[in-house]
Amino acid sequence: MSAIGFSVRFLVAGLAAAVLAAGRAVAEDWPGAGWARQPVARGPALEAFEAYAFPPRDEVGRRGVRSDAVVVIRDGVLVYEHYAAPTTANTPHLVWSVSKSLLACLLGVAYGEGRFRLDDPALQYYLPLAGHPDLRMRHLLNWTSGLAWEEDYEYSPLKSSVIAMLYTRGHNDMARFVARHQADTGPGTRFSYSSGDSVLLAAALKGMLPAERYADYPWRALFEPLGITSAVWERDATGTFIGASYAYLSARDLARVGLLMLRDGRWGERRLLPADWVAFNRSPVPGYQPRGEGLVPGGHWWLNLPLARASRPWPDAPADTFAALGHWGQALYVLPAEKLVIVRFADDRDLSYRHNDFLHLARAAFVSGEAR
Amino acid sequence: MRRRHALLLGSAVLLVATVVWPNRAHLAAFPDIIGAYSAKEYCSCRYVSGNPADYCQVYIQQYIPIDQLHDEPASRTVTARGLGRTHSAVWLGPREGCRLLAEEEAAAVP
Repeated sequence: MSAIGFSVRFLVAGLAAAVLAAGRAVAEDWPGAGWARQPVARGPALEAFEAYAFPPRDEVGRRGVRSDAVVVIRDGVLVYEHYAAPTTANTPHLVWSVSKSLLACLLGVAYGEGRFRLDDPALQYYLPLAGHPDLRMRHLLNWTSGLAWEEDYEYSPLKSSVIAMLYTRGHNDMARFVARHQADTGPGTRFSYSSGDSVLLAAALKGMLPAERYADYPWRALFEPLGITSAVWERDATGTFIGASYAYLSARDLARVGLLMLRDGRWGERRLLPADWVAFNRSPVPGYQPRGEGLVPGGHWWLNLPLARASRPWPDAPADTFAALGHWGQALYVLPAEKLVIVRFADDRDLSYRHNDFLHLARAAFVSGEAR
Repeated sequence: MRRRHALLLGSAVLLVATVVWPNRAHLAAFPDIIGAYSAKEYCSCRYVSGNPADYCQVYIQQYIPIDQLHDEPASRTVTARGLGRTHSAVWLGPREGCRLLAEEEAAAVP
C-alpha cells in the first residue's frame, strides 16, 4: 500500500470519527445552567407514582413514606420534579451516605489524574494507618477493610462506631478515630458496610493532593465541571471532608452526578471519570455472598445485579440499575437501560419505603409510553 | 437480710464486670450523643439547607428529649443540652457548612 493511500484512508477514518462525534454531541442533551425540560404528561401511571411517593405527610408520628423531593431525568432532559415543603428546587438537602458515592466520583477524578492506583496501600496516603499495612485503596472502596466497626444508627446508639465518630469520641478527627480500630479480619476478605472506610478514603484523598488543593478539590474536580452550584460538604476539625455523611446538594444538582454516571463518566466532550473507574464502581465486591434481599455492594455504589443463588435486589428494575443510597431514604438511582436518572430526597423515619415499589411505579410513569 | 445484700452486691459486681467495664468508653460517651447530634443537625438544617426554625426543631427530635436548644442567629451558633451535657455547632461558611465544636471550643462560646 502506498503512503498516500494510507494517509487518505487515515483522513477518511478521522473525518468519519469527527462526524460521529458531532452527531453524538447534537443528539445528546446536557444541562447548561439549568436542565432542558419536557414534563411528562399526566395520566394514571403518574398519579399512581405520586400516590406512592407523596402520600399525605404524617408530620406528627413521622410514619410512612415522606419524600422531600423527586427529580427525574430522561436522557438528559428533566421530565418530572416535585417537592414537599420546606424543601424546594434550591434546597441543598442532606444526602447522608449518598456522600460516599460522591466521594467515589471525586476519587475517580483523582484516579484519572494518576494520583493513585486501586492496589496502593491506603497507608501510602494516610500515615495513621501504619498499623494496617495490607489495607489497600480497593478494600476501602469495597467496604472490605476488615476493621472492627459497628455501623448502627439511632436505634442502637450505644456501641455504634458511626455515632461515636460523628458526634462524640471521633468527631474532631474522624479518620484518626477510624484508623485506631483493630482489624477483625484481613482486608479484602469480608464485606461490612462501614462509614469508617469512607472517611479513611476522604483522608487518603487529602494525602494524595498538594495541601492547598484539598479544600477546593470537590468543586474544582467535580462540582464546577458538572455545573453544580448548590453543593456544601462539611468537614471535621482537621479539615477532612466527612466523606461518609455530610454532603448537601439540590435535587437538580445531584441529578447531574447521575447523568455523569449514566454516561459512563463522560460530561459533554470531557471524560471526567475513566471508563475503568466506572466499571469498578459497578462491579460487585469480589467474593460477596448475597444476604437475603440485601443490596449488592460495588465500588462505593450499590448494584442491582443478580448474584449466585440470589435474584436481583430490585426485581422490577433492570439488572444494570445502580444507586447511591443514604439514611432516611436519600437515593440517586441510575437506570442505564432506560436512560433514566432519579433523585429522591426524603425524611423516612420508618421502613415503609421500598426501593422496588418506587422504581416499579417510576418506570411505569416515566418510561412506559408517557414520557416521550 | 445479709444474704440478700450479698446477692445484690454479687449481681452488681457481675453487671459491672460483664457489661459496664467492657463498654466503659461507650457508656461514658453515651450522654453526649443527644446534645451533639441536636446542635449539629439543627445548625445544618437551619443554616445549610435553609429550612425554617420550627421545621428544624421537629426535624432533630429523637426518642431521647433535649432540655434546651439555643440558636444564636448573629453568629450562627447552635447550642443543645441533653442528658446533662451541652454541645455547640457553628456555621463556618457557604462551602463548609456547620461543624460540631470540640469541648474546649464550645466552652469559649458565650
